[in-house]
Amino acid sequence: MEKMSEDVVLRAISHCFKCKLCAIADFHGSDEKWLALCPSGSYYGFNSFYSPGRFEVFREILSGEIDCGTEMLVKVAFGCQLCGACYERCKEVSKVELDNAELFEELRSVLAERGWLLDAHVRIREDVERTGNAYGASEKLEYPSSGDEVIYFVGCTARHREREISEAMVRVLNASGARFTVLGDEWCCGSPLLRTGQRDVASRLIAHNVEEIRGIGAEKMVFTCPGCLKTFKESYSDLGVELLHASEYINSLVSEGRLQPGKLKIALPYHDPCHLGRHLGIYDAPRETLELIGVEVVELSRNRGNAWCCGSGGGVKSGFPEFATWTADERVGEIRETGSDIVVSACPFCKRNLEDSGVKVFDLAELVSQTL
Amino acid sequence: MTILEELERIVGRENVSGDPAITAAYSRDQHWTFVPPKNPAYVARPGTKEEIRDVLMLANRENAPVIPWSTGINIRGMTIPVADGTIMLDVSRLDRIVEVNHGMMTATIQPGVTFGMLVEETKKHGLRPAFPDAPLTVSAVTNNYLRGIYQTAPRDGLDHILSFEIILPNGETLQTGSRLLKRDLPYFRYGPGPEIASLFIAGPGTWGVVTELTLKLYRIFEHQKVYYVGFDDLEKPMGLLDRVNREELVSGCRFVDTIHWLPPYLGTFDYEYETLPEFVVVLVVENQDRIFQAQDHIVQTYIAESGGKILDLPQDLVDNLKCEMLGAETSPMIFGFKGNFYCVGYYGPLNLLPQYYRDFKENALEIGFEAEDISFYANTIARFHGQSTYYELEIYFDSSDKRSVEMLRTLHARTVANLLETGIYGWFRPYAGVIEPTLDRIGNFADYWKKLQNFIDPNGIMNPGKLF
Ligand SMILES: Cc1cc2nc3c(=O)[nH]c(=O)nc-3n(C[C@H](O)[C@H](O)[C@H](O)COP(=O)(O)OP(=O)(O)OC[C@H]3O[C@@H](n4cnc5c(N)ncnc54)[C@H](O)[C@@H]3O)c2cc1C
Ligand code: SF4
Ligand code: SF4
Repeated sequence: MEKMSEDVVLRAISHCFKCKLCAIADFHGSDEKWLALCPSGSYYGFNSFYSPGRFEVFREILSGEIDCGTEMLVKVAFGCQLCGACYERCKEVSKVELDNAELFEELRSVLAERGWLLDAHVRIREDVERTGNAYGASEKLEYPSSGDEVIYFVGCTARHREREISEAMVRVLNASGARFTVLGDEWCCGSPLLRTGQRDVASRLIAHNVEEIRGIGAEKMVFTCPGCLKTFKESYSDLGVELLHASEYINSLVSEGRLQPGKLKIALPYHDPCHLGRHLGIYDAPRETLELIGVEVVELSRNRGNAWCCGSGGGVKSGFPEFATWTADERVGEIRETGSDIVVSACPFCKRNLEDSGVKVFDLAELVSQTL
Repeated sequence: MTILEELERIVGRENVSGDPAITAAYSRDQHWTFVPPKNPAYVARPGTKEEIRDVLMLANRENAPVIPWSTGINIRGMTIPVADGTIMLDVSRLDRIVEVNHGMMTATIQPGVTFGMLVEETKKHGLRPAFPDAPLTVSAVTNNYLRGIYQTAPRDGLDHILSFEIILPNGETLQTGSRLLKRDLPYFRYGPGPEIASLFIAGPGTWGVVTELTLKLYRIFEHQKVYYVGFDDLEKPMGLLDRVNREELVSGCRFVDTIHWLPPYLGTFDYEYETLPEFVVVLVVENQDRIFQAQDHIVQTYIAESGGKILDLPQDLVDNLKCEMLGAETSPMIFGFKGNFYCVGYYGPLNLLPQYYRDFKENALEIGFEAEDISFYANTIARFHGQSTYYELEIYFDSSDKRSVEMLRTLHARTVANLLETGIYGWFRPYAGVIEPTLDRIGNFADYWKKLQNFIDPNGIMNPGKLF
């Protein structure tokens, strides 16, 4: 969350040698199939929407050659899901210090400082400031609490939009006998604001949540939203609490014998959420959870580090809904190629966006709860 | 109407922009320490040949510079504008594989088709294009049109073009080779009359825009073996290189320095490269059953006689090169050492290899580079012509460090002058930094070249400043 120095940014940018391998999935790993990986470049086409091109736009902003926040500039900067697929590929071919998505977040914060933002993102900030959640929802939703062993951080989307995920997670926690609680006054983790360059407001949210968490003294926190988990891991100071994705926590509950899920005996494709997979490196835990409940994972053509984004990340769902839909449609096509109209994922944003494109999406927590 | 409005009319509003947020992305490439960044005035992305023609006619009428851009990965500043008001003609939307002809062993493709896209298709026929070490994201049309250097050059040679279609700056379309008589028979290089197509090849977008090209394809062999043979000096491998090339025993033959070139070949930085000999000869033997075994046996004998040592490397790492021969993905790792990579690429006779490298290293050390940042690459390309070889003399550097950039400029000037003095066949491609001192040396050839250029492009709109 700290501002990068211009020198660091420029140095990193100068090390991009424009090979554009970041635009496609691992070719030999996919049996020599040409599979696009960058939604932004694939949709908009101009080089500015691919990593190497966007870097040069950033350079010209820093050098002052670009001094006007045009609609196109805002589109170039914010019309990208920050899915991190580019970095995943780039780090394999270069030892240099580019982290594309981090640099693009930095680019957005430079634009935000100049007031070059999308109205939709400004509205999110206003909603968060007014209500503490990214959807501006005013109703207070209560969750049960059974103790302070583990905090379940629900997050705005599983609370106000994809409520079945949080309800399922609560059922799982109850069934395991884990003593859990939900923050009495949980605010947005800050992710939507950090991803859209609005760091100042995010700091206030973080300070509030930290205060709430410290008051409880739990040893663990569990998340059904990988975006929240990433934000806690990367942008919160060390709280002395173990931070776990639902899949990791569920797997440990099963291995400790506290949870005995049944078997679904079904084969389903699994969609890797960007925040969970590429950003946090959690690829195996959700697959293990699925195995535990008798779901045979059907791998999509683009999976793990090569997964195609669901389309909603980085403020794209609110900022560029058509682009978000196009990206999801692409993924849904790939899901349907497996012969399935149902997909499993592990992120409320993925569930929401992919369902908008016509497939049924089950969150892991939902499937686990169905087996209890 | 303004030029922007005209462009919008031709390619559609959504496919053109003059906004710096778009043009900046075409302003700089890896060669920026030699070719300074500059934005084009407009980027246009035509979707058809007719739109390309109309943009060229507009530019010709308005005297607006045009730079054809297929994938922009040339790394030599070849698509970076020099003149104001430049139209960047991004033709990547023309990405159709027109035909893969199994019988003819050819592919006909548009300029937006990358090597990756092409091999996905040709592999279905048991065929492949000749592959460069360039990332498989580059345009197969442009790479061939610019006369690339290929991993299988000793076997397949350098020239894989059969025929093409090019739109000239005045909007006329020209066909070459057998296309001239019958458009759907594009399979032969030599059509009626003199072979003028070669005049066009290797021009950096200076004579028009190639819209379709027919390429040779080659067999993918089931039997394939890669040898990494270590040597501790530069002279010793020369005999082996000479024999395997002269006797046409190998498909691929490269002589490189271990520390820098083995990581991209093996596909990992994570190996104890410093424990290996300083130089490596990389040989690829491939053929059909029985011929392969015989060939392989001879190669093994020659290796044993050469005094080199076959490196004992993990098989999965050795096999990475087989993948690379179907599309390079790990070759860009050479950029990873310091962040940036400089090389001067040229052709010359094999026997000058030790001298080229020693001179370069001596100069680089004298100028202040560290030994660990200096390397070379040699790829033999033919059994004849004095065993022609493609060379690269290379430096790994950090372009954000002003001192090393200055050192590099000094080294570059000295290297180019030295090479011209020592003797080379020609530069890999005509590009900024090598073309200027060369034109001074080629006498009236340069005058004829300029006259021909002027004949094709009298208004000087095609990628001006890149050659003359
Ligand atoms: C890591 C790495 C390794 C490489 N190794 C090799 C190698 O082993 N062998 C090799 O051959 N190359 C190699 N290259 C160089 C590079 O990939 C090729 O030169 C590349 O094919 C040309 O770039 P491009 O296809 O992106 O064309 P562009 O960059 O788009 O264009 C290159 C030039 O061609 C002109 N041009 C573009 N499109 C057209 C068109 N349709 N009609 C007419 N002119 C046009 C442009 O104006 C420009 O002057 C390597 C590059 C990298 C990054
Ligand atoms: S970001 Fe990395 S992979 Fe992408 S073009 Fe730059 S160097 Fe290549
Ligand atoms: S973060 Fe994702 S959408 Fe953005 S440039 Fe990288 S690959 Fe493309």
